[in-house]
Amino acid sequence: MNIDSIISDLIFIKPEIAIAATLVLIVLVDLISPKSKTALPYISLLGIAIAGVFVVQQFGTAEFAFKTSLSSGMFAADDFGSFFKIIVLLASVFVIFFSISSSEIKSVNDHLGEYYTLMFGMILGMFFMVSASDLVLIFISIELLSLSSYVLAGFVKNTVRSSEASLKYVIYGGVSSGIMLFGISLIYGLTGTTNLYEINSIIQIQSFPHITFLIATLFITVGLGFKISAAPFHFWTPDVYEGAPLPITAYLSVASKAAGFAVLIRFIKITFINSIDHHGNWELLNIIDWRSIIVLLSILSMTLGNFTALWQDNLKRMLAYSSIAQAGYMLLGIAVLSDQGLTATMIYFIVYLFMNLGAFFVVMLIANEIGSEDIEDYKGLGKTMPFLGVTLAFFLLSLAGIPPTAGFIGKVVLFIALVDANMIAVAVIALLNTVVSLYYYVRVLKNLYLVQVDEEKPVIKLSFANGFVIILLAAPILIFGVYFTPIVNFAKNSINILGF
Amino acid sequence: MLTEFGKVFAFILTAVMFVLIAVFAAKLIRPARPTKEKLTTYECGENPEGSPWVKFNIRFYVVALIFLIFDVEVVMLIPWALVYQDSGMLGFLVGAIFLILLGLGMAYEWRKGDLEWARPKITPLVLTKTEPPEEKQEKELNLGE
Repeated sequence: MNIDSIISDLIFIKPEIAIAATLVLIVLVDLISPKSKTALPYISLLGIAIAGVFVVQQFGTAEFAFKTSLSSGMFAADDFGSFFKIIVLLASVFVIFFSISSSEIKSVNDHLGEYYTLMFGMILGMFFMVSASDLVLIFISIELLSLSSYVLAGFVKNTVRSSEASLKYVIYGGVSSGIMLFGISLIYGLTGTTNLYEINSIIQIQSFPHITFLIATLFITVGLGFKISAAPFHFWTPDVYEGAPLPITAYLSVASKAAGFAVLIRFIKITFINSIDHHGNWELLNIIDWRSIIVLLSILSMTLGNFTALWQDNLKRMLAYSSIAQAGYMLLGIAVLSDQGLTATMIYFIVYLFMNLGAFFVVMLIANEIGSEDIEDYKGLGKTMPFLGVTLAFFLLSLAGIPPTAGFIGKVVLFIALVDANMIAVAVIALLNTVVSLYYYVRVLKNLYLVQVDEEKPVIKLSFANGFVIILLAAPILIFGVYFTPIVNFAKNSINILGF
Repeated sequence: MLTEFGKVFAFILTAVMFVLIAVFAAKLIRPARPTKEKLTTYECGENPEGSPWVKFNIRFYVVALIFLIFDVEVVMLIPWALVYQDSGMLGFLVGAIFLILLGLGMAYEWRKGDLEWARPKITPLVLTKTEPPEEKQEKELNLGE
């Protein structure tokens, strides 16, 4: 690998370069004119738009960048990566809109330059994560994402719970990435390489001490499970989600989770694949029983997330547990170990992006006014703020999976994939979990509409821009709930992982 | 026959043994006649003043960080300086971008006032339990509560 080949491979990482350049630009603008902070979000949006154009251009390429040998490289530019980059970019656009109107972010207006810089640090980390095909690059990009998000989680310095969230996140994150690095070092010790494709070709012909390999892989799964907040690695999630400023909570629950899923899927598929039959079923090497591991993680996440969410009084905390449960549903799609299951997970991700961000945005707008996220304080608010109430209800029902919302479509596609793979028992458990989750989502609606309150409730004025953002989030859920062919086709066309 | 890691291990072992053997050999050979004067901390011939375990300015930490960044920069630039001519202008640009990014970091420190020893005003951090926007001023709590 000489310097000329590195430079000629730069055309494959154009989106990443655009993001990095925007990061530098934001720092520069912040340094040159420290007084004017209003331009920063628009510069960020511009950078994201340019990166978005490059990502869309990249659809259809399947090339290795930074090659280590003829058939493997550090970075895989493929449709699968581009799909998750689109998810990350969409989430970033919405989160920047959230940040503009968040009262928490306004309270740290002096450090707005750092806020957007760190956010672009997160985006850069996630971009490299979703395309990385080398364990070292995976680890470095996860660290880049984590370090930026630790700071952002505690960005509102003058509140106790924000600082607490940041500290807890650092401690849990540090431990889990340490464990993951240990797993990577074990794999390197066994196979002598960190490249996923090379590991695959080595373990196909050589046999290794089974227990060492199992431990090494499980350790890596711990690090990735932490990022997607799957039980039993979820302990940081409720505290961090509750304490972090709301735009960051929304961002962590969508973008960072999407990147974690992308890495997990790529890791499992590339490293352990033996062959793929013409139905798209993955035949994995007989080393580790991935299906059992993922089904176990998924059932634990769903059940724990849903049943703990029943007892939450803080809406942010409830949404945190709900996002653990949603991660459980999405893991089911991976557990199928087929292209159909992968498509189902990706469809679910598109839907999850809109409904979860929407729910967090409405909660944020209400918290801006009433200064609380307690479900008790929502009593009677449905009458004083009809638009916010109706949209919140809509997002929550979509999270629960009620037709005609897109959440229903996401769940249906997932369950069809499960039934096709003859995993009926798991599908039944997932269905029962959906019923449980309905209770806590509807409990919010009950407080919004059905409880009579005597005291005067504040009337929430909604700016035109915020209303427009809500409609931007709600419209896709309604449209895809009825006319879902586009997202199904989009997901089906982007499941190509490089090398298959 | 040594494996690749075996060679590294032998190297590490040699390094560790070198120090240990030197320390113990010195202990065996040297005369040991301590006096009170000899055992005090060396402070340029003065009598030591108080314990060295005192609080010192957090700003030293920032300076140490900046030093570390530029230290790493030198380590990175030496191999680059040896080979960049082989790749012509591109090779030069790669190093230049690296230097510009580090310079930007330096400019950031400078502009944000982290290089000035006496900062004009330090507003103490006030922690609040929750953040209702209207009541923020009334509900200030200290860390101790």
